[in-house]
Amino acid sequence: MGVCITGIGVVSAIGMSVDENLSALREGRTGIGPLHYLRGTKASLAGEVKASNEELRAALGVGTEYVSRTSLLGLRAAREAWGDNKRSGVIRTGIISATSVGGMDRSEVFYKDYLAQNDPDYRLLTTHDSGSTTERIAKELGITGYINTLSTACSSGVNAIMLGARLILQGTLDRVLVGGSDALSGFTIDGFRSLMIYDDQWCRPFDESRAGLNLGEGAGFLLLEGEKSLELTGNKPICNVSGWANAADAYHQTASSPDGKGATLAIEHAIRRAGIGLDQVSYVNAHGTGTKNNDHSESVALQNVFGDRVPAFSSTKAFTGHTLAAAGAIEAVFSVLAIRDNLIFPNLNYRTPIAETGLVPATQLKTDVEVSAVLSNSFGFGGNNSSLVLTKYE
Amino acid sequence: MNKPALYLSAASTISHQPTFQNPGFSAALAQVEASSALISPDYKTYIDAGLLRRMSKILRMSVACARDCIEQAGADQPDAIVVGTGLGCLQDTEKFLNTSLTVEGLLPPTSFIQSTHNTMAGQISLSLGNHGYNMTHTQNTLSFEHALLDAAMLLREGDRNVLVGAADEHIDILNDIAEKLGFETASPLTSGASFFILSSESAGNAAAELTDVYTSGGAEYGQEEIDAFLDRNGMQIGDIDLVLYAGTPVSGAVRNIDYLSLAGVYPTASAFALHYAVDLLATNSEVRNVLICNTLRKSNLGLTLLKAVEA
Repeated sequence: MGVCITGIGVVSAIGMSVDENLSALREGRTGIGPLHYLRGTKASLAGEVKASNEELRAALGVGTEYVSRTSLLGLRAAREAWGDNKRSGVIRTGIISATSVGGMDRSEVFYKDYLAQNDPDYRLLTTHDSGSTTERIAKELGITGYINTLSTACSSGVNAIMLGARLILQGTLDRVLVGGSDALSGFTIDGFRSLMIYDDQWCRPFDESRAGLNLGEGAGFLLLEGEKSLELTGNKPICNVSGWANAADAYHQTASSPDGKGATLAIEHAIRRAGIGLDQVSYVNAHGTGTKNNDHSESVALQNVFGDRVPAFSSTKAFTGHTLAAAGAIEAVFSVLAIRDNLIFPNLNYRTPIAETGLVPATQLKTDVEVSAVLSNSFGFGGNNSSLVLTKYE
Repeated sequence: MNKPALYLSAASTISHQPTFQNPGFSAALAQVEASSALISPDYKTYIDAGLLRRMSKILRMSVACARDCIEQAGADQPDAIVVGTGLGCLQDTEKFLNTSLTVEGLLPPTSFIQSTHNTMAGQISLSLGNHGYNMTHTQNTLSFEHALLDAAMLLREGDRNVLVGAADEHIDILNDIAEKLGFETASPLTSGASFFILSSESAGNAAAELTDVYTSGGAEYGQEEIDAFLDRNGMQIGDIDLVLYAGTPVSGAVRNIDYLSLAGVYPTASAFALHYAVDLLATNSEVRNVLICNTLRKSNLGLTLLKAVEA
């Protein structure tokens, strides 16, 4: 039976729920546009969640304003994934979230006033540390005990899912809510601009003309359950978490290696762990950020593993923007939907293959396919490469 | 589940105490005073001079301790690298935040690149050329315990040697923030880094065994949670020769020592306590079982149980 996914939740630039996200994916509707809620940044385009902090707080019933947007987005997705499940004294339940910015959206408000000596509000900093974003979500859901946060930059979300699955298999937990959340901030927008990989135009993953990423924000959560938990909750599994791996590229602090070493290791090990053949991978939800470096390195890795039989693949980041630590979790939710509804999502904005690799992503929504196994990749700073394999529940 | 033994086969710490490359340091420790400085090794021995110039305090401490551990254990490559940090790379985070709010035009990217929490684990993998599992846990005062738990799981899954450690760095604004938020501590806020090699087999060089590690968050802990943890490991509080604690001493213990008074206060100071315990277990034959009880934050309970290696 292994580890099953029984609940999913997502909030992103293309919707406030699983259903809204799925509609946009099916209709090829992007959420990337000019910023409306986060003011004063230099980004011309980003994948903003279409709600203010006040609207999010009101919808969630969170009274205090000392809460980060990262926590609010995470809580929204976590609640959807948690659904009507009850707390239990018998089912050992934990939560693992992933974030890279934590409460930076609040901290930068503080720091601006601090620098200007404009009566800064120190309480804004109580949400700064990444762990507090998870503690806030856990508190709202009434989860105590195993509460943990991973922060490995853009691969964090997949790592949270991987750790959750391992905790269940080792018998430490019976069920665990896993996911990731990151809010847009001036800090990250300026950061990616300083690296000169922030595209002022709409990002174009896997296209020869790609010139960088657009940042996004959001959260994805999944409820993982083991055998004991399933017996007690009676929840119906949607699919299985079957394979996972993390490997270090050990090439450069931010750039990916030209030979795709770390990515190749992560993909190979995840598929081996899933115990399926290469030809059984129906779809690859690629990391595909739209940067010159990532998309080339990832293409090389796919060819290293699959040779000339690379499965149907696409990046969904031209829909959502790159949501950093949330990306792996949001894309895992999309991968669950691909299996549940037998879908392959289109890679928007693709025209011309990358000259060195010649790979052609799926550009139209495919509905006439059997999707039984999905590989989802997430690669981050520090050469942190993670891959996840989800399979149809059997 | 029958848990196989886990061995601590190397340990390295940079702190206010003479911990670095100094086995037996536990016999001569003094309380940390606000005026005392970190005792740093000659970093050039461990890190290329060009890289060193760009490295913040937390990065140089972490890479030096990691390399020292690898040398001690005589292991070529660990199978995995797992790091815990409560607040991450504060020096670079503040630097980039400052730059981005005050500088117009193109910004230098180095401090942004080095601001992510996994920079330590990433730099260690780069420094060693290591392609294994590479993870960073950040759960406030329990960040190190979560890293240790992950490392223990990896060994049960088949890994042989895991490099596991923790680091946090102090920046000046923390004192101001602590004062404004009413966070009072008996010992000064500071920095520290501790790394270890956790192994599934003892090559005769192991200093101590890790019996168990446990974390619990989100609710005020009670004495019964500590008792239940010891009970799961076939022990009672009276069997423990020494408790190293942060927050509140453990009642009924033969001996309690406040490790924050020795390490100073930082979110992953329990990693200092682990090295302190390992050193005691290796050098003092009267100490056989040590419990580290981390309640630096009342709603977070971290328990780590260690024992001397059977002769």
